[in-house]
Amino acid sequence: MGKATVIPFGPQHPVLPEPLHLDLVVEDEKVIEAIPQIGFVHRGLEKLVETRDYNQFIYVAERICGICAMGHSLGYAETVESLMGVEVPKRAQYLRVIWHELSRIHSHLLWLGLAADAFGFESMFMHCWRLRERVLDIFEKTTGGRVILSVVKVGGVVRDIDDAQMAEVIATLDGIVDDYTKIMNTLLTDASVKNRTVDVGYISHDEALALSMVGPFARASAVGYDVRSFGRGAYGDLSDFQPITDDGGDCFARVKVRCLEVLQSIEIVKELAAKIPVGDIEVAVKGAPAAGAQASNVLEQPRGECYYYARGNGTKNLERMRMRTPTSQNLAGMTKALAGCDLADVNMIILTIDPCISCTER
Amino acid sequence: MARFSQEFTPLAADAIHEDAAARKADGWRYVQTLAVNTEDGIDLIYSYMRDGLLENRIVKALPPHATVPSVTDEFLAAFVFENEIHDLFGISFEGLAIDFGGNFYRVAQPEPMTIISPELKAAREKAAKLAAAKAAKAERAEKAGEAQAEFLAAHPEAKAAGTGAGKVLKPSDDEAVEAKLAGMDPEKVARVRAAIAAKAKKAAEAEQAAKDAELEAKLAAMDPEKAAKVRAAMEAKAARAAAAGAKEGE
Repeated sequence: MGKATVIPFGPQHPVLPEPLHLDLVVEDEKVIEAIPQIGFVHRGLEKLVETRDYNQFIYVAERICGICAMGHSLGYAETVESLMGVEVPKRAQYLRVIWHELSRIHSHLLWLGLAADAFGFESMFMHCWRLRERVLDIFEKTTGGRVILSVVKVGGVVRDIDDAQMAEVIATLDGIVDDYTKIMNTLLTDASVKNRTVDVGYISHDEALALSMVGPFARASAVGYDVRSFGRGAYGDLSDFQPITDDGGDCFARVKVRCLEVLQSIEIVKELAAKIPVGDIEVAVKGAPAAGAQASNVLEQPRGECYYYARGNGTKNLERMRMRTPTSQNLAGMTKALAGCDLADVNMIILTIDPCISCTER
Repeated sequence: MARFSQEFTPLAADAIHEDAAARKADGWRYVQTLAVNTEDGIDLIYSYMRDGLLENRIVKALPPHATVPSVTDEFLAAFVFENEIHDLFGISFEGLAIDFGGNFYRVAQPEPMTIISPELKAAREKAAKLAAAKAAKAERAEKAGEAQAEFLAAHPEAKAAGTGAGKVLKPSDDEAVEAKLAGMDPEKVARVRAAIAAKAKKAAEAEQAAKDAELEAKLAAMDPEKAAKVRAAMEAKAARAAAAGAKEGE
């Protein structure tokens, strides 16, 4: 056994899209302990709620992170609506979920590309991002934005998708499915992918529960928790929704869960597009949250459950707004997955929790 | 799958760790910890979830730089939030599993979330004013109600002085007068109300007299035969009303 050495990993590293630092305590090539550190992109966005009223803050919320922009605006709006007792029209609920699921597709495709790049499969990275561009095209046509959509408001949505546009969305998704299935089959059957991911960064079911892990990271350890299965909003009108889980617990299982979730999201969008009711897309929201009123909320972001909390003070400005993102909840799981791994697998394990540091630090 | 619901329940600061341990044993999932800077101190909120129930346990009004037990020995995931709260709010956690010692976030000034910005100060002052105005209005309404009840008890004739059956004569509809009365000595209020009622009664009598005079003038200008018919009809109507009143009285 060699001498224990501490190797700093990050915050700038080719495999990391965002700044995350790890102190890796290694003996020979084995990682004994990994201590994560963040704090390089903290912007104090939650404090801004004091200077922006509850309608304006939605634009701050969706700028927490480019990948989760739609989810944050939706989670924030739902929390304020819960605080003020606002009932959103059914059509608006459907539109919100359609855009949110499209966000999940683009987020997972982005992640699959980054993962492929991390284990040296660069052509796969390009294929994944090529498909993601087609989802961003849908966003551009239906909302006018590709990353920051700004379609959600407190009380509903600001834009509708007409029948012609909806048909175009479905046609685009049908076109994506063929290409995507080829990519997915390659990822899940290719020997070089399996060499880098199978039995790497294992987390058992019990450990996942004890570490309070969320999202695909937890579902790859057979934890069947998905906020969407509570059936709130348009999710309640789905004919059947079952969280996608896998009992592998390793990096390969995490790749598999995300791969299958892309297909699941496409099916959700298609089902809701077929069922979407006609009607209003917003309700007028007047007044301000009462002093001392508080509400919490959870939303299934692409990376997992995100928690929101809001407290009113009787004015248009909230007293407090808080977002607990999935990555911050999964950092403990990541340290567990890294303990005992080979040094060469560190980048793969970090990527398979799909860390979003901008969300975590806000 | 269970339906989603949420609760906010109080939690004592010295029960934080005990509660976490009990919840872990009962199969609750740790969701998060957050802090809120209030005028009374810093609130900590611990969230746990089981079977769709999101329970938020609130530790109220901790003093600045308070120390509370860490729950990271039960739920390691809490180390991120406890370090964050330490750096942004100044609350310390005893027994933190991964303690960054105040270097978790790089902040320009210590405990930035405890700084009361001018906007927050203004919002709190506005909220306090609104709450005070609401409370004062409720108190005035309560006092006015009490004074009204006292007045009616002391002056039963005020009840019957209305123009229609069952209509209560209100001493005054003027809100400003009501507001003034609410702050006065109850005896004086009763005297003022009696004076107002007497004045209203006098005004009603004067109005009735003016109406009678107008009617007489009209009848005088009419054909005598037609005027006699109108008078007979009016007398019959008055007799019917008197009979109905007597029947109601029985």
